[in-house]
Amino acid sequence: MNASIAEQQRILASDWGGGRSPFGTTWSKFMMWIFIVSDALTFAGFLIAYGFMRAISPAWPEQTEVFNMVLITFMTFALISSSAVMAMAVGAARAGDPTLAVRFLAMTIVGGIIFLGCQVYEWAHFIGEGARLTTNPWGVPQFSASFFLITGFHGFHVLSGVAILAIVAMRAAVGKYSADGVENAGLYWHFIDVVWVFVFAFFYLL
Amino acid sequence: MAQGHDAHAISYKTYFMTWVWLLVLTALALGIGYAPINETLKAFLLVGTTLAKILVIAAVFMHLRYERLNLILITFAPLVLAIIMFAFTFPETLGTSTHVIQVR
Repeated sequence: MNASIAEQQRILASDWGGGRSPFGTTWSKFMMWIFIVSDALTFAGFLIAYGFMRAISPAWPEQTEVFNMVLITFMTFALISSSAVMAMAVGAARAGDPTLAVRFLAMTIVGGIIFLGCQVYEWAHFIGEGARLTTNPWGVPQFSASFFLITGFHGFHVLSGVAILAIVAMRAAVGKYSADGVENAGLYWHFIDVVWVFVFAFFYLL
Repeated sequence: MAQGHDAHAISYKTYFMTWVWLLVLTALALGIGYAPINETLKAFLLVGTTLAKILVIAAVFMHLRYERLNLILITFAPLVLAIIMFAFTFPETLGTSTHVIQVR
Protein backbone atom coordinates (compact mmCIF):
# COMPACT_ATOMS: atom_id res chain seq x y z
CA MET A 1 0.00 0.00 0.00
CA ASN A 2 2.78 2.39 1.00
CA ALA A 3 4.64 1.53 -2.18
CA SER A 4 1.53 2.38 -4.22
CA ILE A 5 1.16 5.78 -2.54
CA ALA A 6 4.84 6.47 -3.04
CA GLU A 7 4.53 5.56 -6.73
CA GLN A 8 1.50 7.85 -7.09
CA GLN A 9 3.39 10.71 -5.46
CA ARG A 10 6.37 10.08 -7.71
CA ILE A 11 4.15 10.28 -10.80
CA LEU A 12 2.40 13.45 -9.61
CA ALA A 13 5.76 15.07 -8.92
CA SER A 14 6.96 14.39 -12.47
CA ASP A 15 6.52 16.97 -15.26
CA TRP A 16 3.74 15.13 -17.11
CA GLY A 17 2.12 13.30 -14.18
CA GLY A 18 -0.80 15.71 -13.81
CA GLY A 19 0.26 16.97 -10.40
CA ARG A 20 1.73 20.23 -11.67
CA SER A 21 2.06 22.30 -14.83
CA PRO A 22 4.62 20.74 -17.19
CA PHE A 23 5.33 24.27 -18.37
CA GLY A 24 5.91 25.69 -14.91
CA THR A 25 3.53 28.56 -15.47
CA THR A 26 0.02 29.76 -14.70
CA TRP A 27 -2.80 28.70 -17.01
CA SER A 28 -3.45 32.30 -18.12
CA LYS A 29 0.13 32.85 -19.22
CA PHE A 30 0.25 29.49 -20.92
CA MET A 31 -2.98 30.29 -22.79
CA MET A 32 -1.46 33.61 -23.88
CA TRP A 33 1.56 31.72 -25.23
CA ILE A 34 -0.73 29.32 -27.11
CA PHE A 35 -2.55 32.31 -28.60
CA ILE A 36 0.76 33.92 -29.58
CA VAL A 37 1.94 30.71 -31.25
CA SER A 38 -1.30 30.38 -33.25
CA ASP A 39 -1.26 34.07 -34.20
CA ALA A 40 2.38 33.75 -35.26
CA LEU A 41 1.32 30.98 -37.64
CA THR A 42 -1.19 33.37 -39.24
CA PHE A 43 1.48 36.02 -39.75
CA ALA A 44 3.89 33.36 -41.03
CA GLY A 45 1.26 32.42 -43.62
CA PHE A 46 0.94 36.05 -44.69
CA LEU A 47 4.69 36.57 -44.98
CA ILE A 48 5.29 33.33 -46.85
CA ALA A 49 2.44 34.15 -49.25
CA TYR A 50 4.06 37.57 -49.75
CA GLY A 51 7.43 35.91 -50.47
CA PHE A 52 5.77 33.56 -52.92
CA MET A 53 3.97 36.35 -54.78
CA ARG A 54 7.13 38.39 -54.91
CA ALA A 55 9.18 35.47 -56.22
CA ILE A 56 6.76 34.77 -59.08
CA SER A 57 6.35 38.45 -60.01
CA PRO A 58 8.52 39.45 -62.96
CA ALA A 59 9.06 42.87 -61.34
CA TRP A 60 8.66 44.41 -57.89
CA PRO A 61 8.71 48.12 -56.99
CA GLU A 62 11.73 49.46 -55.11
CA GLN A 63 10.29 49.86 -51.61
CA THR A 64 12.82 52.47 -50.53
CA GLU A 65 11.57 54.69 -53.37
CA VAL A 66 7.87 54.08 -52.68
CA PHE A 67 7.88 54.41 -48.89
CA ASN A 68 9.25 57.07 -46.61
CA MET A 69 11.94 55.00 -44.90
CA VAL A 70 12.62 57.68 -42.30
CA LEU A 71 9.01 57.33 -41.18
CA ILE A 72 9.16 53.52 -41.22
CA THR A 73 12.37 53.57 -39.18
CA PHE A 74 10.78 55.98 -36.71
CA MET A 75 7.78 53.62 -36.42
CA THR A 76 10.20 50.78 -35.65
CA PHE A 77 11.92 52.94 -33.05
CA ALA A 78 8.56 53.78 -31.43
CA LEU A 79 7.49 50.15 -31.23
CA ILE A 80 10.84 48.86 -29.90
CA SER A 81 10.90 51.65 -27.32
CA SER A 82 7.34 50.90 -26.23
CA SER A 83 8.26 47.23 -25.93
CA ALA A 84 11.19 48.09 -23.64
CA VAL A 85 8.95 50.29 -21.47
CA MET A 86 6.34 47.50 -21.40
CA ALA A 87 8.99 45.12 -20.04
CA MET A 88 9.68 47.70 -17.31
CA ALA A 89 5.94 47.85 -16.55
CA VAL A 90 5.92 44.09 -16.00
CA GLY A 91 8.99 44.46 -13.78
CA ALA A 92 7.28 47.16 -11.71
CA ALA A 93 4.10 45.07 -11.47
CA ARG A 94 6.05 42.04 -10.29
CA ALA A 95 7.89 44.23 -7.77
CA GLY A 96 4.52 45.29 -6.31
CA ASP A 97 4.63 48.91 -7.48
CA PRO A 98 1.32 49.54 -9.32
CA THR A 99 1.87 53.31 -9.56
CA LEU A 100 5.12 52.87 -11.46
CA ALA A 101 3.57 50.06 -13.52
CA VAL A 102 0.71 52.35 -14.58
CA ARG A 103 3.20 55.06 -15.60
CA PHE A 104 5.16 52.61 -17.73
CA LEU A 105 1.91 51.26 -19.20
CA ALA A 106 0.86 54.81 -20.12
CA MET A 107 4.21 55.34 -21.88
CA THR A 108 3.73 52.06 -23.75
CA ILE A 109 0.27 53.17 -24.86
CA VAL A 110 1.71 56.48 -26.10
CA GLY A 111 4.29 54.53 -28.12
CA GLY A 112 1.51 52.43 -29.64
CA ILE A 113 -0.56 55.50 -30.50
CA ILE A 114 2.46 57.16 -32.14
CA PHE A 115 2.99 54.00 -34.21
CA LEU A 116 -0.67 53.94 -35.25
CA GLY A 117 -0.61 57.64 -36.14
CA CYS A 118 2.40 57.08 -38.39
CA GLN A 119 0.67 54.09 -39.99
CA VAL A 120 -2.46 56.12 -40.72
CA TYR A 121 -0.26 58.78 -42.35
CA GLU A 122 1.57 56.11 -44.38
CA TRP A 123 -1.68 54.49 -45.54
CA ALA A 124 -3.17 57.88 -46.48
CA HIS A 125 -0.05 58.75 -48.46
CA PHE A 126 -0.01 55.35 -50.19
CA ILE A 127 -3.71 55.57 -51.10
CA GLY A 128 -3.18 59.17 -52.21
CA GLU A 129 -0.61 57.94 -54.72
CA GLY A 130 -3.29 55.71 -56.25
CA ALA A 131 -2.65 52.40 -54.47
CA ARG A 132 -5.68 50.16 -53.95
CA LEU A 133 -6.09 46.59 -52.76
CA THR A 134 -6.01 45.15 -56.28
CA THR A 135 -4.35 47.88 -58.34
CA ASN A 136 -1.55 50.42 -58.01
CA PRO A 137 0.46 52.80 -60.22
CA TRP A 138 3.54 50.54 -60.08
CA GLY A 139 1.85 47.83 -62.15
CA VAL A 140 2.25 44.99 -59.64
CA PRO A 141 -1.15 44.37 -57.99
CA GLN A 142 0.37 41.96 -55.45
CA PHE A 143 2.53 44.79 -54.10
CA SER A 144 -0.30 46.89 -52.70
CA ALA A 145 -2.34 43.79 -51.77
CA SER A 146 0.57 42.53 -49.64
CA PHE A 147 1.07 45.96 -48.12
CA PHE A 148 -2.55 46.49 -47.11
CA LEU A 149 -3.05 42.96 -45.80
CA ILE A 150 0.18 42.60 -43.83
CA THR A 151 0.44 46.10 -42.37
CA GLY A 152 -3.34 46.26 -41.90
CA PHE A 153 -3.46 42.99 -39.97
CA HIS A 154 -0.48 44.08 -37.89
CA GLY A 155 -1.96 47.54 -37.34
CA PHE A 156 -5.18 45.98 -36.08
CA HIS A 157 -3.09 44.01 -33.58
CA VAL A 158 -1.44 47.23 -32.43
CA LEU A 159 -4.86 48.89 -32.07
CA SER A 160 -6.24 45.99 -30.03
CA GLY A 161 -3.00 45.93 -28.02
CA VAL A 162 -3.43 49.60 -27.12
CA ALA A 163 -7.02 48.88 -26.04
CA ILE A 164 -5.89 45.91 -23.89
CA LEU A 165 -3.10 47.95 -22.29
CA ALA A 166 -5.53 50.80 -21.58
CA ILE A 167 -7.89 48.40 -19.80
CA VAL A 168 -5.04 46.84 -17.80
CA ALA A 169 -3.71 50.31 -16.86
CA MET A 170 -7.15 51.58 -15.79
CA ARG A 171 -7.76 48.48 -13.70
CA ALA A 172 -4.35 48.86 -12.06
CA ALA A 173 -5.00 52.57 -11.41
CA VAL A 174 -8.19 51.83 -9.46
CA GLY A 175 -6.57 49.09 -7.42
CA LYS A 176 -7.66 46.04 -9.42
CA TYR A 177 -4.04 45.17 -9.74
CA SER A 178 -2.77 41.89 -11.14
CA ALA A 179 0.87 41.28 -11.96
CA ASP A 180 -0.17 38.28 -14.07
CA GLY A 181 -2.57 40.47 -16.06
CA VAL A 182 0.16 43.01 -16.76
CA GLU A 183 2.58 40.26 -17.78
CA ASN A 184 0.08 38.60 -20.15
CA ALA A 185 -0.70 41.95 -21.79
CA GLY A 186 3.05 42.51 -22.03
CA LEU A 187 3.58 39.19 -23.81
CA TYR A 188 1.02 40.22 -26.40
CA TRP A 189 2.68 43.60 -26.87
CA HIS A 190 6.13 42.08 -27.31
CA PHE A 191 4.66 39.67 -29.85
CA ILE A 192 3.41 42.66 -31.86
CA ASP A 193 6.96 44.01 -31.75
CA VAL A 194 8.39 40.66 -32.93
CA VAL A 195 5.98 40.60 -35.90
CA TRP A 196 6.96 44.14 -36.86
CA VAL A 197 10.63 43.14 -36.83
CA PHE A 198 9.80 40.57 -39.51
CA VAL A 199 7.63 43.00 -41.51
CA PHE A 200 10.29 45.72 -41.34
CA ALA A 201 13.02 43.39 -42.62
CA PHE A 202 11.14 41.41 -45.25
CA PHE A 203 8.61 43.89 -46.58
CA TYR A 204 10.44 47.20 -46.37
CA LEU A 205 14.15 46.33 -46.56
CA LEU A 206 14.46 43.18 -48.67
CA MET B 1 2.66 28.19 -8.22
CA ALA B 2 5.86 30.15 -8.17
CA GLN B 3 6.95 31.30 -11.60
CA GLY B 4 10.35 30.38 -12.91
CA HIS B 5 11.43 33.93 -13.57
CA ASP B 6 9.99 35.44 -10.41
CA ALA B 7 13.20 34.57 -8.68
CA HIS B 8 15.12 36.31 -11.48
CA ALA B 9 13.97 39.93 -11.31
CA ILE B 10 15.46 41.69 -14.33
CA SER B 11 16.88 45.13 -13.64
CA TYR B 12 15.82 48.27 -15.50
CA LYS B 13 19.42 48.61 -16.63
CA THR B 14 19.17 45.24 -18.40
CA TYR B 15 15.99 46.38 -20.16
CA PHE B 16 17.68 49.62 -21.16
CA MET B 17 20.73 47.82 -22.54
CA THR B 18 18.46 45.41 -24.44
CA TRP B 19 16.65 48.39 -25.94
CA VAL B 20 20.01 49.87 -27.02
CA TRP B 21 21.05 46.57 -28.63
CA LEU B 22 17.74 46.33 -30.45
CA LEU B 23 18.27 49.82 -31.86
CA VAL B 24 21.80 48.84 -32.94
CA LEU B 25 20.43 45.73 -34.69
CA THR B 26 17.73 47.85 -36.35
CA ALA B 27 20.39 50.25 -37.64
CA LEU B 28 22.38 47.25 -38.88
CA ALA B 29 19.31 45.86 -40.70
CA LEU B 30 18.72 49.28 -42.26
CA GLY B 31 22.35 49.40 -43.42
CA ILE B 32 22.04 45.93 -44.94
CA GLY B 33 18.81 46.97 -46.67
CA TYR B 34 20.53 49.87 -48.41
CA ALA B 35 23.86 48.11 -49.05
CA PRO B 36 24.69 47.53 -52.74
CA ILE B 37 25.16 43.77 -52.32
CA ASN B 38 23.83 40.57 -53.89
CA GLU B 39 20.10 40.08 -53.14
CA THR B 40 20.59 36.52 -51.85
CA LEU B 41 23.35 37.64 -49.49
CA LYS B 42 21.16 40.54 -48.40
CA ALA B 43 18.30 38.12 -47.65
CA PHE B 44 20.56 35.89 -45.54
CA LEU B 45 21.97 38.86 -43.60
CA LEU B 46 18.49 40.27 -42.98
CA VAL B 47 17.23 36.88 -41.78
CA GLY B 48 20.24 36.77 -39.41
CA THR B 49 19.65 40.22 -37.92
CA THR B 50 15.90 39.55 -37.68
CA LEU B 51 16.42 36.27 -35.83
CA ALA B 52 18.92 37.97 -33.52
CA LYS B 53 16.34 40.67 -32.72
CA ILE B 54 13.49 38.26 -32.00
CA LEU B 55 15.75 36.10 -29.84
CA VAL B 56 16.73 39.14 -27.77
CA ILE B 57 13.10 40.28 -27.42
CA ALA B 58 11.89 36.77 -26.53
CA ALA B 59 14.73 36.04 -24.10
CA VAL B 60 14.77 39.32 -22.18
CA PHE B 61 11.48 41.19 -22.71
CA MET B 62 9.31 38.05 -22.81
CA HIS B 63 11.39 36.37 -20.08
CA LEU B 64 11.74 33.16 -22.07
CA ARG B 65 15.27 32.65 -20.79
CA TYR B 66 13.80 31.98 -17.36
CA GLU B 67 11.03 29.67 -18.55
CA ARG B 68 11.10 25.91 -18.69
CA LEU B 69 12.43 24.16 -21.78
CA ASN B 70 8.93 22.69 -22.40
CA LEU B 71 7.50 26.19 -22.93
CA ILE B 72 10.51 27.44 -24.90
CA LEU B 73 10.18 24.55 -27.37
CA ILE B 74 6.51 25.36 -27.99
CA THR B 75 7.39 28.92 -28.96
CA PHE B 76 9.68 27.60 -31.71
CA ALA B 77 6.78 25.75 -33.36
CA PRO B 78 5.72 28.63 -35.68
CA LEU B 79 9.29 29.14 -36.89
CA VAL B 80 9.73 25.44 -37.68
CA LEU B 81 6.32 25.21 -39.39
CA ALA B 82 7.03 28.42 -41.35
CA ILE B 83 10.31 26.94 -42.63
CA ILE B 84 8.44 23.77 -43.71
CA MET B 85 5.76 25.83 -45.46
CA PHE B 86 8.39 27.95 -47.18
CA ALA B 87 10.30 24.83 -48.26
CA PHE B 88 7.12 23.35 -49.76
CA THR B 89 6.00 26.48 -51.61
CA PHE B 90 9.23 28.08 -52.79
CA PRO B 91 10.14 25.38 -55.36
CA GLU B 92 6.93 26.37 -57.19
CA THR B 93 8.41 29.79 -57.87
CA LEU B 94 11.52 28.19 -59.35
CA GLY B 95 9.28 26.06 -61.56
CA THR B 96 7.59 29.17 -62.93
CA SER B 97 10.92 30.67 -63.94
CA THR B 98 12.03 27.43 -65.60
CA HIS B 99 8.75 27.25 -67.46
CA VAL B 100 9.14 30.79 -68.79
CA ILE B 101 12.63 29.98 -70.03
CA GLN B 102 11.40 26.81 -71.76
CA VAL B 103 8.61 28.68 -73.52
CA ARG B 104 11.14 31.05 -75.01
